[in-house]
Amino acid sequence: MRRLWLPIVATLCLAGCSDDPSWRTTDITEIMPPLDFALIDDDGEAVTAEAYRGKTTLVYFGYTQCPDVCPITLARLGSVINQLDEDVRDEVQVLFVSVDPGRDTPEVLKRYVGAFGPEFTGLTGEREDIDALTNRYRIAYEYEEPNEYGDYIVNHSSAIFAFDEEGHAQFLARDSHSPQDILGDLRTLISKS
Amino acid sequence: MNTTHALRAVRRTLLPALSLAALCAAVATAQAADIDVSDARLSILPGDTPGAGYFTLHNASDETISLVGAESPAFEAVEVHESMEHDGMMHMHELEAVEVEPGASIEFAPKGHHLMLMRRTQEVNVGDEVDVTLRFADDTTLPVTFDVVSPTAL
Repeated sequence: MRRLWLPIVATLCLAGCSDDPSWRTTDITEIMPPLDFALIDDDGEAVTAEAYRGKTTLVYFGYTQCPDVCPITLARLGSVINQLDEDVRDEVQVLFVSVDPGRDTPEVLKRYVGAFGPEFTGLTGEREDIDALTNRYRIAYEYEEPNEYGDYIVNHSSAIFAFDEEGHAQFLARDSHSPQDILGDLRTLISKS
Repeated sequence: MNTTHALRAVRRTLLPALSLAALCAAVATAQAADIDVSDARLSILPGDTPGAGYFTLHNASDETISLVGAESPAFEAVEVHESMEHDGMMHMHELEAVEVEPGASIEFAPKGHHLMLMRRTQEVNVGDEVDVTLRFADDTTLPVTFDVVSPTAL
């Protein structure tokens, strides 16, 4: 049984999406809504998107039982942030939103994101609240059938969304975009703030 | 950190009639495949999350080899996996076998082929070394020592 939770709306940019010359990655200023959610942070506190206003915010969806893609993506984001000038590093935060709340408790998330740096926060929550956020950004994810131990793989979007300090959508980086492109766009976004 | 393992696959041939010395000699002559594994790193994070094994494998023999599995005393299960992106989705799946032609190399690298090491049987920390045995289709095995690293070091 392979449960597909959402239709795969992966071809984000079929229409209405242009490569704004100001971004090396993909411009989403016109096509994506402002950041909005009600989730649980990695201290177990109920939080909304308003709590994260005031900083340039990167959002990535994944799960902690992912051995390869999620750690590597987060590690490379951490490396990008470390290449920013020290005085602006505090103006950036990364929200790692779990699409596997059954296994990703706040405690598990806190230990996991802590390995990547102080800029990283883990978010989990009720499935319907996570789905409200993934639907909002047309993100798909799906669970594979569990093995004999109950372990299961979650296939998920590779997208990293960037928002300005007021929560407005700015750019989207895919797996195919280089860390240098993300770094360049991040610098541009911070300088606009 | 880039420890090179110039190790040879040893055919697990049962020769009960032979003495230990003779067995060693027999094994020495039964090194069917010359397989070099280098740059073996095990990426790990705190907590009981699975690790990822990365390395480069070179098949210096004159026969195609097929990696079909792996074991480690530090983990309950090890699987050969591949990550790939398709239509903006990252997929991961288990591979039954990875073939490497004579003279060819394959890289197990982030966001591609990797070993997935699940459920630690002991504490595993960055800086440790972990033994992993690679298993091939012809029943040969190859012990490899992996350096445990943080994904931030990859």
